[in-house]
Amino acid sequence: MLIYLAQRLLALAFVLLAVSMIVFTLMHSVPGGPFDTQQAKLPKAARENIERKYGLDKPVWQQYLNYMSHAVRFDFGIPYQQPQTTVAALIGKTWLVTLQVGIMTIIVAFGLGITAGMFAAYHQNSWVDNIVTFFSMLGVTVPNFVIAMWFILFFGVTRQWLPTGGWGKSGDCLCYDLLCSDWILPVLAYALAPMAIIARYTRASIVDVIREDYVRTARAKGLGESKVMRRHVLRNAQIPMVTALGTEIPNLITGSIFIETIFRINGLGKFFVTSTLNRDYPMIMATFLLVALLWGITFMLTDIAYTLIDPRVKLGAKKEA
Amino acid sequence: MVVRSHAYCANPPLRRPLQKAPRQRKNKIKTIYGLPTRSLLFTPLVLALWLHTSNAQEKTVTGLALPPDAAPYAEQVLRIPCNNSANAVTFDFSVSVYQPYCGSNFFNDPLVTFDKALNPQPGAAESWSVADDGVTWTFILHQGLMWSDGTPVTAHDYVATFRFSADPDHAWDFAWYYTFVDKGGIKNWDEVIAGELPVEALGVRAIDDRTLEIITKGIFPPLPKIMKYAYALQKKALAEHGPYYNNEPATAVSSGPFMLESFDHGFKVVFKANPHYKGYRPPRLARIEGIYMSPATYFIAYLNNEIDTINFNDLSPADFATIERDPELLANYLRPGLIGTDYVFFDPHNPPFDNLDVRKAFAHAINREAIVKSIYGEIKAVPAHTMLMPGFPAADITGDLTDYQRFDCGLAKEHLAKAGYPNGADFPPQVMWLRNENPGIAAVYQAAAASISQCLGISIQVSNKDNKVFMDALHERPTKIALGSVAYAIDFADPINLLGIWVSSGRHSWRHQRFDEILDEASNLIGEPARRDSLFHAAERILVDDVGGAFIAHRWAGDLWRPKVRGASIRDPGPNDTYGSHSGNDWQWGDIYIGKAQ
Repeated sequence: MLIYLAQRLLALAFVLLAVSMIVFTLMHSVPGGPFDTQQAKLPKAARENIERKYGLDKPVWQQYLNYMSHAVRFDFGIPYQQPQTTVAALIGKTWLVTLQVGIMTIIVAFGLGITAGMFAAYHQNSWVDNIVTFFSMLGVTVPNFVIAMWFILFFGVTRQWLPTGGWGKSGDCLCYDLLCSDWILPVLAYALAPMAIIARYTRASIVDVIREDYVRTARAKGLGESKVMRRHVLRNAQIPMVTALGTEIPNLITGSIFIETIFRINGLGKFFVTSTLNRDYPMIMATFLLVALLWGITFMLTDIAYTLIDPRVKLGAKKEA
Repeated sequence: MVVRSHAYCANPPLRRPLQKAPRQRKNKIKTIYGLPTRSLLFTPLVLALWLHTSNAQEKTVTGLALPPDAAPYAEQVLRIPCNNSANAVTFDFSVSVYQPYCGSNFFNDPLVTFDKALNPQPGAAESWSVADDGVTWTFILHQGLMWSDGTPVTAHDYVATFRFSADPDHAWDFAWYYTFVDKGGIKNWDEVIAGELPVEALGVRAIDDRTLEIITKGIFPPLPKIMKYAYALQKKALAEHGPYYNNEPATAVSSGPFMLESFDHGFKVVFKANPHYKGYRPPRLARIEGIYMSPATYFIAYLNNEIDTINFNDLSPADFATIERDPELLANYLRPGLIGTDYVFFDPHNPPFDNLDVRKAFAHAINREAIVKSIYGEIKAVPAHTMLMPGFPAADITGDLTDYQRFDCGLAKEHLAKAGYPNGADFPPQVMWLRNENPGIAAVYQAAAASISQCLGISIQVSNKDNKVFMDALHERPTKIALGSVAYAIDFADPINLLGIWVSSGRHSWRHQRFDEILDEASNLIGEPARRDSLFHAAERILVDDVGGAFIAHRWAGDLWRPKVRGASIRDPGPNDTYGSHSGNDWQWGDIYIGKAQ
């Protein structure tokens, strides 16, 4: 296991290196620079000053080497969007908030999604199944910014039941600020799409397993339904679920520009878009590397999860001849 | 007059500690109608004190009396929306123009401001004059201007700011401006920003604490108008804390009407009235709260009573539809004037647009009236046939230039046939570039392209490009954009501002020697305003006749204000029966106040 983990971490380092090269090349290939202004072209001298100030006057390969030599020491530079701070500090500050949103969303989406999927599978083709399917389709097809606006209009403006945003700064909080009223709308709006996907996957996986012979045998032996579901159905349905659902996690914990801007959450999500639009090279690099790292770790953890779910899976075991 | 400190503090007063009940007196006290006689002796004193206190509550921290219809001073709080996805780094114009925080320029006064007719008015400078050489300008600062730390504002602060702006190490994003205004640029500006001369060589110096001298590159009569952008940073704070000193309440120092109270970036910024303020716009408001949110939710937040104003740029077509249906909203949507011009531009050096008849065909094929009526909405724009909008100096108020670009599909077809493309036959398909426009504005340009296509029988595809891709291609020489649509808004109220983008060294590839010559002559002219205007008019005639651009619409500026927000600067009519917050109207921040609930 340890050798396997070491190999995966080494591979992850190479993946990050490759991602950094591709992103660096692409962002410097796109027309337009970080300091092009709206109204008029900067005078040549002013442009040169800015480029010198940010090290953009050097050849691209040299800029890349400079960047990487600093990045390995966790110095990711100064964001052009907020030059009074550092990329690391900015990500550290904003990602904490995004992580909080993401974790809450994961709890809600996975909790409700798996439960709904199980009910739908168990009551296949019944009205329960139809309702779950309807809401799953709604969650998948309606974008979260539309859902967010509906929520704000209904719960915030019309009914005035909940604050329209702020993340811990506008609403009432309970339990030493562990639960705030202004968390409800963003988490629900953000969770709806993944919840729908999770419900669909869960239903499909369980429906496949529930028809297996060993489930029928378990019932024939006289096992209670809850035991059949827990020991024989859920356990065997978990592998495809983990494969499909694990990939939702990096998406959720890196935030959404729509949810964060609409609900006034000062998180990391918006920087994925604004950095690209503003050609904020240091932030583009850092955010892409962060995403690549999270995906790498997720895949690694998914592999480990397989061994926990199914003892027949051995990590790093060579194929028998 | 000093106001009780808690009068403008939003925090609730601290709860008093529980007090013990007073012991009962055993002595008998004389009374009149149940009141102790001794206490009646103090009645006049209590009454006077009450009157004094109630009057004091109606005055601001700078001692200004509030209007009779104003709400109590503690309620003088204006809530403004702030874009939580904006790329912003500073409150100060001299640090960055294109990355401003919400509430920028509350901390400094410009040398010059504008009245409702866009005439320059004293700002931080009480007066200005130009020497006989035509290039040496002297600005005298108002007596007694103060920073919020109690130190005086001096001409040395302005000199330090100009030098900082030109410093090659600062690499100011607005450095292009003093190059763009050409003769109006400060002497040695280009050399200093290039690092060829030291910042001390810049043509700006302090004669004494109140006298600032600015030397321009050449004769430039409208210089006072561009001093609207001359804001001062505090020399001392700049040296001690660097250019971002205003981003932290601990180091922030203000010579403007407000000062930074708290700043939680991405959530809320709070400005409070500056008690040391001695400038031209003493604030009636006690506080301004900037609440960060997505522009997509501004209108909802306004309807939900979370904010008090929205700028027209942040209102969607759907929002405008709601405003136009609601009499109260409509009455509080105030339009101060036309702010910019939308136009189609061409690459006139390559086929097919090197042919004047093709350009004329395009100009006559745009159904401006229909576009304004059905796409923009008449609340947002008027049809344009020229670059200068009605109400702007030297604008074509007689309609003399209208015919050059009026919508006439028959005439447009004639021009296209003359150019060798009868009924659009063999006309190469075109792509019209847009500059990352929002859906509302993109629809306007789509409609212009559709109008041209339908009239002339040609194919135009519209492509909404990334902002930086568009600007890079636009600035290339020769330009990489054969056909594009864009807008330009007022920077300062002089025809040279809007016509200057069409000179050979300007924004577009269109060239006309005579146009350049007339503009040059007009911009140098001193003391003959009528002749100056007629020269600009002649230049604009060349522009519309030679179709440097095909003009579509002039945009109305506008702001939606909550009815309780009052003040002559926005509620009283200006020229042409306009209302609201006009271009360059920074004196409104001293004027507006919250009215009593009706």
